[in-house]
Amino acid sequence: MADPRLMDQAFQRIMRGLVDTGRAPHYAELARALGRPAEEGRALLRDVMAAYPIGWLHPETDYIASFPPLNNLPTQYRITVRGEQRWFAQCGFEATSATWLFPGQTVRVDAPCLDCGDPVSVEMRDGRITWVDPPGVVGHLAFGFGASRGRPPYL
Amino acid sequence: MNLFRSEEHARRWSQFPPRSEEGLITLDDLAGFFGTESRRHMLDADYLSAWYPRRAAERRSYLEKIAKTSPFWMGTPDPPTS
Repeated sequence: MADPRLMDQAFQRIMRGLVDTGRAPHYAELARALGRPAEEGRALLRDVMAAYPIGWLHPETDYIASFPPLNNLPTQYRITVRGEQRWFAQCGFEATSATWLFPGQTVRVDAPCLDCGDPVSVEMRDGRITWVDPPGVVGHLAFGFGASRGRPPYL
Repeated sequence: MNLFRSEEHARRWSQFPPRSEEGLITLDDLAGFFGTESRRHMLDADYLSAWYPRRAAERRSYLEKIAKTSPFWMGTPDPPTS
């Protein structure tokens, strides 16, 4: 496992990259940003993902798929900030946490309802819900938390 | 973990597991659950080492506050059935 300070730097670089550009860096970009050889960046990325197991790499690759609350792989939870829809949330629950990545900004979440396909929209600012359409929007945990449930909780 | 237009829409979802009736949560409670203190520090330089480790305890505490203490929410094993 890499040095904790270096892991913090790598984590921050990944999260900041997602926030600034809407996509996570490749490990070679991560390594360059931290002044390290590319192969060290790969090992560092794997260490960071092991320490942050609520995110994951795409299977059989070194590509970041999910780095919650944001997702590098598009999901139905589209995030819009300053009029730009650049981001995706890992899931509907994590979508309500994206507000903390954009302090002082209105963060809008748009998704289709999985029952009817009609839109679900939520706007938040610094953690406060400022607008919801329709007003009855709810969250739903399908399989429960914990490994004993047998299904990924983000579903 | 999804958002639906209403509880009725969630229950009508073709993949709604029967047990997940207890998985419904209001948007306000959800925003609180995913807005605990550590979440506010995701951009901090020491998030991974200093803040992320606090997340699990914060989640348990918040779930207790909103009375979602079943194994389904707490991530604990189900009690054995006789």
